[in-house]
Amino acid sequence: MKQSTKKALWRGLSGVTCFTMCLSMILGSALEANAATIDTYLGTSSEVLTSENNEENPLYDKFTPPAELLNEDGTGNSHALIQAAIDLNRQEAAEGAVLLKNNTENGQGLPLASGSNVTLVGIRSHVPLIGSSFGVKAQGPFISLEQALSQNKTDFANTITTTQNTNATTREEATSVSKTMESWTGEEFEFEGAGFNINPTMVEIYNELNKTYNHANNENPEEVYNPGEPSLDEIAGVNADYAASFAEYGDAAIVVISRPSAESKDYLPGGIKEGLGAEEPLALTTNERDAIELAKQASDNVIVLINSASAVEIGDLKNDPDVDSILWIGFPGNYGMLGVADILCGRVSPSGGLADIFPTYNMSAPAMQNMGKMYYSNTDDVITRTGGMLGFTPGAYTIEAEGMYVGYRYYETRYYDYVAGTGNAASPVGAYASDTEWNYANEVAYGFGYGLSYTDFQFEFDGQPVFEISVDEETGAPSAYATFNVKVTNVGDVAGKTSVQIYGQAPYIQGGVEKSAIQLLNFGKTSVLEPGASEVVLVKVDLQYIASYDESYDNGDGTMGTYIMDPGAYYFSVGNGAHDALNHIMAAQGMDATKMVGEGNPAQVYVQQIDENFISKTMFSVSKTGYKISNQLPYADWNYYQPGEVTYLSRTDWAGTYPQSYTDMTLTNEQLIKNLNGQTYTLHTDDDTSGILWGQDNGIQFYEMFGVPYDDPKWDSLLDQLTLEEAMYIFSFGGPSIPGADSIGTVETYMTENAGNGVAVSLNASKDPSAPWAIPASDVNGNWHPQVFGNAPLAAATFNPDLMHQLGEFTGIESLFTGINILWGPGLNTHRHAYNGRNGEYYSEDPVLSGVAAMEFAIGALDYGLVAAPKHFAFNDQESERGGVSPYMTEQRAREVELRAYQIAFEATKYDTEEYNAGMRGLMTSFSKIGSIECTTSEGLMTEILANEWGFIGYAVTDIYDDTDLWSAVLNAGTTCFDTRGQSGFYSTTTLENCSLFQKQADGSKLSAHMIDGDANLQLKLKEAVHKNIFAWSESHLMNRYNATTHIESQMTWWRAAYYGLGGVSAAVLLLSVAMYVVTSKKKKEEI
Amino acid sequence: MNLKKQGIAFYLNVLAVILSAVGLGLTIHSSTMTTDNVLLGFTTIVAAGVIGIVLECVAVYLPNRMGNHDPISAISVLASIALLCYVFGQCILQRITMIAGLFSFNSGNTAGWQVFYVTVAAVACLLVAIVLLIVGSFLKSVKE
Repeated sequence: MKQSTKKALWRGLSGVTCFTMCLSMILGSALEANAATIDTYLGTSSEVLTSENNEENPLYDKFTPPAELLNEDGTGNSHALIQAAIDLNRQEAAEGAVLLKNNTENGQGLPLASGSNVTLVGIRSHVPLIGSSFGVKAQGPFISLEQALSQNKTDFANTITTTQNTNATTREEATSVSKTMESWTGEEFEFEGAGFNINPTMVEIYNELNKTYNHANNENPEEVYNPGEPSLDEIAGVNADYAASFAEYGDAAIVVISRPSAESKDYLPGGIKEGLGAEEPLALTTNERDAIELAKQASDNVIVLINSASAVEIGDLKNDPDVDSILWIGFPGNYGMLGVADILCGRVSPSGGLADIFPTYNMSAPAMQNMGKMYYSNTDDVITRTGGMLGFTPGAYTIEAEGMYVGYRYYETRYYDYVAGTGNAASPVGAYASDTEWNYANEVAYGFGYGLSYTDFQFEFDGQPVFEISVDEETGAPSAYATFNVKVTNVGDVAGKTSVQIYGQAPYIQGGVEKSAIQLLNFGKTSVLEPGASEVVLVKVDLQYIASYDESYDNGDGTMGTYIMDPGAYYFSVGNGAHDALNHIMAAQGMDATKMVGEGNPAQVYVQQIDENFISKTMFSVSKTGYKISNQLPYADWNYYQPGEVTYLSRTDWAGTYPQSYTDMTLTNEQLIKNLNGQTYTLHTDDDTSGILWGQDNGIQFYEMFGVPYDDPKWDSLLDQLTLEEAMYIFSFGGPSIPGADSIGTVETYMTENAGNGVAVSLNASKDPSAPWAIPASDVNGNWHPQVFGNAPLAAATFNPDLMHQLGEFTGIESLFTGINILWGPGLNTHRHAYNGRNGEYYSEDPVLSGVAAMEFAIGALDYGLVAAPKHFAFNDQESERGGVSPYMTEQRAREVELRAYQIAFEATKYDTEEYNAGMRGLMTSFSKIGSIECTTSEGLMTEILANEWGFIGYAVTDIYDDTDLWSAVLNAGTTCFDTRGQSGFYSTTTLENCSLFQKQADGSKLSAHMIDGDANLQLKLKEAVHKNIFAWSESHLMNRYNATTHIESQMTWWRAAYYGLGGVSAAVLLLSVAMYVVTSKKKKEEI
Repeated sequence: MNLKKQGIAFYLNVLAVILSAVGLGLTIHSSTMTTDNVLLGFTTIVAAGVIGIVLECVAVYLPNRMGNHDPISAISVLASIALLCYVFGQCILQRITMIAGLFSFNSGNTAGWQVFYVTVAAVACLLVAIVLLIVGSFLKSVKE
């Protein structure tokens, strides 16, 4: 070979290796900066928190999984864990499914006999929705409806949930559907199915059609929705003789109607593809109606399953005599179809109640007049704050002019006034089913809390309720409870259980404070009652939830607004849902039965006269912590800054105040504009901070803090050890990876993850691989993913606090197996309307049902050391422009509807004891604002209400990358850290100074370790925020891993080895190439 | 320079210069099209890109004076590869978080998608330019 050729070769090779070396450096930087996230997805452990386990400092002795999920040697038993998940999810679906209609005349309806020959109709019977496309996704292998109905063993290897790509905005674009797991090579499980025989012809047809329809088990709503139900012609196109199969499988025809739910997208009014025969996305399309007609051809026993988190418009199915049964099944989770099968075959009697009202037309809800995408008319002129890295659109808002009349509160209250003949309730204004008058029977298909059973129950109060009312002499904190003993008797023919729902009505004064005519106060559930058997269920009601928030009440101390109890007759009722309970009250009040929809039974009502001697009008003006309650969110109301521009719905005049659509509002008030531009805190630069201690040497380590009460002085000593910079890191980076602090002996740890239907980490990707029970990668079931449970509305619909608690406990157990000690979930926002795309992640339209469900979940999770952090605190009322949308509302609405759910959960008074003040230890704030102020920067919300009124102590993280441009204001408000997913390698790869999230502050500053050197207020707030974070960690199973020897050990993962190897080899070959280039150059010169 | 005397590497290097210039232009555009996606160390990144392009020009020109595979143009090519890698590396590294959001919870980020597409175009141009430089390194710039 010529020297010149050799020279070219070496020169070229050096170019190649220079490139690959640079590439390895880029790759390495990308991988190391996101190591924790990559570990989660690849199942690797790049950094391992390591501690020596010895007698002096024992590990893993604080929280452990139950013995039945462990092998004899203490190692984890993945088979037992999965079996337990199957059993619990089955129970969840069986108790959560709601039987809405059941026509059993002539032997039709449900249940179906074992051995029935059944035809499944509708493409969703073949691809039902199990979870959401993003958020609470159902991951991994599942049991299909077909399998649950007809088989006895899982086929996990061939039934893995699928998900629709999240970028699709229409069904036509949704060509990309992928499995949530590449493959399942683990065990299969036996189960007892319904024992039906399924029409294979229709299964095959839908299987074929789905090759083009691309339906998935996890899907998202779309702004222009198309449910993608095939036409009869398309069915015939696959198999023209399909109808011939009906004769053999005609015992029943089961139709499945589905509507998806997922984060980031809503349904919109009128948002349905043209030509489908429906005007709204939650109305049935022509093809769906044709599917029901097809079912009628297939059988004279037609069962419709509603597979949705939102109210589907099924009013005409209710009145269709040929539709025999309707069963709402929510998104049942990976194994929930077993529970559905249990109901269909009669193994279990239904006992669920609707978590949301089902209006005939969803657009009739007053909230629907103001939902979607609305922008200030002068955004470009006055809004200077940009949308940030997430690209949020500035200037979005919604006026929640429906006031406190959300969900059933509107329909039932207007119904009450209709019967009473007050408030112009009968006016056609707001009516959608009639042009002449508003009428409950026309406007509502099924009420909140309603649900049928295969048996009948009789409810009666067993004696007088027990009132326990007292006020703490020292603090003025009220304690007022009424315990109702409800005797439930099964007067039907089959065994079953039922919920016991206690509702209340406070006296309404025309023109006074707005009050709902009926509201849920608490609930319980019986055990399975055999025919003829009785059980007394105790339901304890916190009477503060029947008090009303009066914004105009003069507290006499210069403040306005507090909770009041108007004197008068308070009605309590037990019923099958809100409407039934209200009917009982109306009957007790002697109202006109001819105008009522349904019958009332006065015997199911208890009346209590309340006056100053019983409960004073202002008893609830002090919170349970002894904190005086007054208006804290005045800026939530649009009228606060620009008076008289918004009219909120009032029952004094339903017609005159029914919401108009507030589009194109114009910002004129200077303070309102300043708020929207994030100008709510001014950084101090020259305060005297010498009295605030940092970097002290007090000799205390984090591992010693397990069980130390929050107010113990030992915490002050520990916190004083932190340097200001360490504290700023802990506040700035709130997870999933959270920075360590040498001064207190903590190390960088991956602590947090989503979701609410399980923990979003596979078993073999545990963040705590050293745990004795950790499932090794070699385990046959190692890639099982714990996100398998049903959606939140399904859990709520069980109306079973014990089951809600069990779901929390099991998630806590999952967290021990996956090494996650903080869960960003469950979702706890209010279903303001049916079009919220994320309703599937939130429990209900009712705050008591939601709050109890979340409380039980979180307390159950904490039993196993998992801090559940409900989200999104608060007012995440829509996904449209969710990033920073401004929902404007009255403070009464904010407190009685939105915040009450969080209050119930955070106060967790049910679990308080003499020695222990129970509570939740985490939350995630909302992307949205409250009025014009970001929730993260609202002192009224985060400090006055959350911390002072409710006594919340714990980790309060922002939503992902939210408001990172308002670092000072977020800290000042009381939020304790930022969600900085993906950031890791703190103090080196990622620093306060180089993290791009914080480099563009709204006030023009940039984050640095010295930014608050001169701000005493922020330093004190920082200490408090860090205290709350670390306290939350100390109550979690993170403490299982900590002792005096704890340190981090870096591991040689395969991806780390790969980029090291690429870089090393490249560097070596580069050097060799350069050297050879030089040598050949010299030789060439010599040749010359 | 007599174009008739130029070898294949010359043309490849010229193409690399053009693509690098386009890539750098797109990088600058991706950083300035919204105020929320500005690249940290923008000046350094632009300077690296400009120097990289200048060095590519050196690699185009020098072989006409010093013959094929001269050490200065060889070093220029290596340095240029490294500098262009730095530019596209910064583009990617600083936008991983945003891009991850686009493909998951934040698919509605219209501005983000625009930045993403420009970033992809910039990285593609720079990568192709690097590949052309590498291929050119094996070949002659001037006919002998």
